[in-house]
Amino acid sequence: MQTLFQLDDITKSYGAVTALNQLTLTVPIGAVGLLGPNGSGKTTMIRTLLGLIPVNQGTGQVLGLDIATEQLEIRRRIGFAPEEECLFPQVDGVGFVTYAGELVGMSHKDALQRSHEVLDYVGLGEARYRKVESYSTGMKQRLKLASAIVHDPKLLILDEPTNGMDPAGRDDILELARDLSHNKGMSLLFSSHLLPDVEAVCEHIVVLGAGKLLTQGRIEELKQAHGQWYDVRLKADPSMFADRLRSLGCTIDLRDDVLRVKLPENESQQMIWKLAAQQREQIRYLRPQRSTLEEVFLHALEKP
Amino acid sequence: MPIFDQGYQHWNGEMRGLTWRWLAITQHGVRAGLQNRYVRMLLLAAWSPALALAAMLSIWGLLERKSDLIKPIIQSLAFLSRQMIASPKDYRLQVWTLSYDYFLLIELRLSMLLILLIGPNLISQDVRLNALPLYFSRPLRRLDYFLGKLGIITTFLAMVIVAPCIIAYVLGLLCSLDITIVRDTWRLLVSSVAYGLIVSISAGLLVLALSSLSRNSRYIALFWLGIWIVSGLTAASLEEAYSKQIARESYRAAEMEPPQHHLIRLMGSSQVNDFEQRMLEAQAHDWRPLISYIDNLSRLRQALLGSNQAWESLAKLHPIPDRSRFLLMFRGPSYPWYWSAFVLLGLFGLSACVLHFQVKSLDRLK
Repeated sequence: MQTLFQLDDITKSYGAVTALNQLTLTVPIGAVGLLGPNGSGKTTMIRTLLGLIPVNQGTGQVLGLDIATEQLEIRRRIGFAPEEECLFPQVDGVGFVTYAGELVGMSHKDALQRSHEVLDYVGLGEARYRKVESYSTGMKQRLKLASAIVHDPKLLILDEPTNGMDPAGRDDILELARDLSHNKGMSLLFSSHLLPDVEAVCEHIVVLGAGKLLTQGRIEELKQAHGQWYDVRLKADPSMFADRLRSLGCTIDLRDDVLRVKLPENESQQMIWKLAAQQREQIRYLRPQRSTLEEVFLHALEKP
Repeated sequence: MPIFDQGYQHWNGEMRGLTWRWLAITQHGVRAGLQNRYVRMLLLAAWSPALALAAMLSIWGLLERKSDLIKPIIQSLAFLSRQMIASPKDYRLQVWTLSYDYFLLIELRLSMLLILLIGPNLISQDVRLNALPLYFSRPLRRLDYFLGKLGIITTFLAMVIVAPCIIAYVLGLLCSLDITIVRDTWRLLVSSVAYGLIVSISAGLLVLALSSLSRNSRYIALFWLGIWIVSGLTAASLEEAYSKQIARESYRAAEMEPPQHHLIRLMGSSQVNDFEQRMLEAQAHDWRPLISYIDNLSRLRQALLGSNQAWESLAKLHPIPDRSRFLLMFRGPSYPWYWSAFVLLGLFGLSACVLHFQVKSLDRLK
């Protein structure tokens, strides 16, 4: 497993407030979702990765570079789109992205050429010569994304990129983030409160709470199957079928028209198929029960 | 989805080194500044005195060569003493020095106006539009950011101070066709460039510090006007009051009661001489000009160019009783130049502190 970044025993305090508390984690390359409630330390962690803030203790590496001594080199290899609305004043779209490229170290000619390419990519080709102050919220988000990828970074950090956006604009950003991370070989750290957004883009999550790591791993693995639990949906009224299952020793949880069934030990889902055949019930679907990302997240927060 | 029509291409170009990263900020700021038509107009206006300087140095060069080209305008040089016209080479250094002095005096005022147009927005606009995270999340240090912003001011001031000084120098040299000019006046060229740098760094850092204090650039512009004009008026008022005090002392020395008004106009000739002597002596240790920001810059200019010495040299062309009056009329303050240097250094330190505490990295930003 190649490492995107790793933090070892990182503590960062702002006066009496401890934003990161002995945080230790190793994250593989790929698309990583950063989850956590407000004040959990997500933004502080991003700033730590960018080498923007000195930490009280601990060490860390991003893309193999030390966060304490190689901050500028780290920032050269990272593209960052901050959460807040932020603009370079008095420029049009092309000027904005070109300037962002020049600040990273690109020559004016390269930055200008590249800015046209990335503005086309994010769908701002038509608006490239408009003053950025006149852009809508969605356009500004895409502009920030364009300025973050102008130098073709190895790691793209998006901090709440879909905040305040309409559904269409949100879909555009998610699709861009997904395309960059899945098809263009760019690693992604996607910080968001919106679990569906993270699930749509990322394959790995890190959950923070009170500055500590609560859980991390591949989303598919975290949404694990729950042993003997199955979700069953029938064509007809499920109440009679539920009663029959109970009589056979199953535990039943009826949720709307879905039966959540826990089979007795040593039984398999064949038991449900057989009973349905006997009862002449039509099964619409039957699948092992898996946690949703929301359940994973809430479960992580409930951990002591 | 049309947004993926162009696709995404990887980029493998060369990056510039970290040392010159601030230059991108300067280049961007200068381009943005030149888009302001008032800035462009002011730059043009600031070049008019440069033409006058170039003309004066060229005329003096032609006068030294006793060129026929000078004959049509020789009458207009009648305000100069005959001795100077007769042997212009002997007064070359003085004329060049004072021409540069007047030029830089005017350019200082125009520079203050230029800074008024450009300076207030430099940091306040970034704070207002929350652009600081965009800078500091890239491979830039705070020092690069400040250097880049200071570079904008320095570039504009170089356009109106340093570049005209060099061009006028070359024109004066070409018109005189005398290489000994370089031997006599090279120090002026170096001093002018040094003065341009001092004004750029001092005024640039000061306006940057002011610009970091508020999101509203109008307040900063008012503050800048306050530093420039109010400090100047305050110093001028105090100097006026001081000269009246010296005039009263002249009356008392002559055992006369000073009048209520028109203290100097009602003086007799002996009192005037006494008053002028006292004023010249007082100027050597008068601290009042230190209150004015541009008076401090002017004092450094005089010290760098040696303009007071030039006036003293020209005063010798006048009869002894008139020399004091001549010096009082033309020569600037003569207090030690390092007093002004200390004041400017203090402002430099204060500006650096303000910038240090006002423009933090993302540690303090939302």
